[in-house]
Amino acid sequence: MGKPTHLTDADIAEFGRELDAIRDEQMSDIGERDAGYIHKVLRTQRSSEVAGRALLMAGILPPAWLAGTALLSLSKILENMEIGHNVMHGQWDWMNDPALDSGTYEWDNTCPSSQWKHSHNYVHHTFTNIVDLDRDVGYGILRMAEDQPWKKRFLLQPLTAAVLAAWFQWGVALHDLEIERIGKDKSLKEAAALLPPIWGKVRKQLLKDYILFPALAGPMAPFVLTGNYSANLTRNLWTFLIIFCGHFTDEVEMFDEAEAIDETRGQWYLRQLLGSSNLTGSVPFHILSGHLSYQIEHHLFPDMPSHRYRDIAPRVQAICERYGINYNTGPLTKQFGGVVKRILRMSLPHRRKRNTLAEQPFADLPVYAEAA
Amino acid sequence: MKPLVRKVLSSSLVGALASPLSVDDYLSLIDRRLSLAEPRGRITSVVRQTADSVTLVIEPNDNWAGHRPGQHVLLGVDLNGARHSRCFSLVSAPQDPLLEITVKRNGDGRVSNFLVDQARRGQLVYLSPAEGDFYPQTSAPAKALLVSAGSGITPVMSLLREWIASGHLGDVVFLHYARRRCDMIYADELQVMAEQHPSLQVSTVFTAENGRRIDSQTMDIEVPDLAERETWLCGPLDFMDAAEALIAPRSEHALHREQFAATRREAAHGQGSVHFLNSDIAASGENGSLLEVAEGAGLTPPYGCRMGICHACKCRVAEGSVRDLRTNTVREVRDTDIQLCIHAAAGDVAVQL
Repeated sequence: MGKPTHLTDADIAEFGRELDAIRDEQMSDIGERDAGYIHKVLRTQRSSEVAGRALLMAGILPPAWLAGTALLSLSKILENMEIGHNVMHGQWDWMNDPALDSGTYEWDNTCPSSQWKHSHNYVHHTFTNIVDLDRDVGYGILRMAEDQPWKKRFLLQPLTAAVLAAWFQWGVALHDLEIERIGKDKSLKEAAALLPPIWGKVRKQLLKDYILFPALAGPMAPFVLTGNYSANLTRNLWTFLIIFCGHFTDEVEMFDEAEAIDETRGQWYLRQLLGSSNLTGSVPFHILSGHLSYQIEHHLFPDMPSHRYRDIAPRVQAICERYGINYNTGPLTKQFGGVVKRILRMSLPHRRKRNTLAEQPFADLPVYAEAA
Repeated sequence: MKPLVRKVLSSSLVGALASPLSVDDYLSLIDRRLSLAEPRGRITSVVRQTADSVTLVIEPNDNWAGHRPGQHVLLGVDLNGARHSRCFSLVSAPQDPLLEITVKRNGDGRVSNFLVDQARRGQLVYLSPAEGDFYPQTSAPAKALLVSAGSGITPVMSLLREWIASGHLGDVVFLHYARRRCDMIYADELQVMAEQHPSLQVSTVFTAENGRRIDSQTMDIEVPDLAERETWLCGPLDFMDAAEALIAPRSEHALHREQFAATRREAAHGQGSVHFLNSDIAASGENGSLLEVAEGAGLTPPYGCRMGICHACKCRVAEGSVRDLRTNTVREVRDTDIQLCIHAAAGDVAVQL
């Protein structure tokens, strides 16, 4: 469908006001129901972790190992996706509960929360899908947009992506080092200063999952160790899947810096919307995705309590339809198919015609090409 | 919690197993009052002494480290999903294992209204350690004057209870001011105390029932030996100022005031000023968002998107009135984290920066 070049500045301003109205309405209604929801998620996460770790202690019995690993995976997924990621966005700060405070929350991940809040909340959410500014576009190791120059190593990127999927939390942990900028506009010293907090976090995570819990299990140590490893692997694969479907489906739009200069609120909303894609599915699926299956709504309103994305999504979609804006959504199979397609397509030195929201010479406008 | 259980749960091993969450996060699966360090409590009794007050008895968990008479506690409750905390004087004597507070309805005060209307047995409350220096002594004075008005009676009751319980009640004159007889909290208990202890002389004045407001004549008649008395004073700000002006010149002993949480200085109207507490810088609040005001004052608070998205600039406001630049709504905040980039001063604001 492409970028909506038919919209005037006034249209975009009005579109922004409609989204603001949804935001104001939702945020003024926050209260008991939201608190009840997150408390239920917290209880589920913590009890499934306790139960999972207990079952793994009896992991010599295959059903206990399977159930234990499944429960621990569930707990780790809930903690990172629906709790950690969203708490760090400040979605629950209004509760004034120190245990859910975006300033102090530390998640069950090798990436320190402080670095995550910089690379994700600030860099990614502010400069969403702007090539060269949003480092989530390929994480500095994959080519995900036409505007990223092709290099030979990208021929191997289907393999790189598979390795990243299996080791996703480690990619996240090293993300804020911004390795590709070192020696350019970031000094080695600046990057090195980020290492001690990463190591501090990594050490604690490894100690817990791979030394202390196995040691506590005594003769059952191998079962606990493999269970913990499997739970971490499951979460890595799951988060990779969800996150890539959020921004790298085939139809998702990429932007250049010129398009984001002096952006109005409405234009910012529009870029967030065009740069994100949703997943359809059941309520448990949405919760397990941390409601990132509503990536569009999340990017419009990153600090709104996540479960509300489900309520507002039909209205956001209706607004998009009225303005003729592509609301990118579909089931996991379709959207992940699009991701695979993009990874494969971008691995080759192909360059399709640019499609931009910024003012351009008349001949470059893609409207006519599309109309034909 | 049994000491051994506490010792095990507080160990660095258990801490490492729970990491990055805390042991408390898991204890709350059993009971949200359980915690390794935080004082929390459960309401065990709710009595409404008057139409616009409620007396709560709270059973604290074993992190409660006790209190001295006249101290107050920051009590937090979850109101419509969000934690709100307010200061209340402890009425209970330190010997009492249960804590007692009395809450009077306070205008639009959300916490006081909620407690007066809806407090119920079994409810969880969050507590701070006891604070305050209203009663710095370790032994009771031989001669004392207690003066209170309205709910200012609560810290004074704590002193009396302590002196009676420890058998050290000296010669005490107690002047209390309430609007009407039916508004007075602790009236029955005070009457019993006065009957049982001849050295305690209680005078209550009901100002809305033709009672005489505090003046020099009151002092001359009720406390002719004021010069020999140490004074404890608690009530609304105006009342305390008036009483202090009468007492201070007449007494040779110390005068202790308990400032009430509710008697804050009025927020300045219109354009306010911003006080950065940690760096002790004051600046005019006129120039843009609090983030811009801070930067204009030479401070370098962390920031990110500068548009309310990333929460990198979140900072604690100790007290003040702020305007949300997105909705243009003004609200009073106290010990609250706000995003500096999308709030401006709407009155005097004290920021912890």
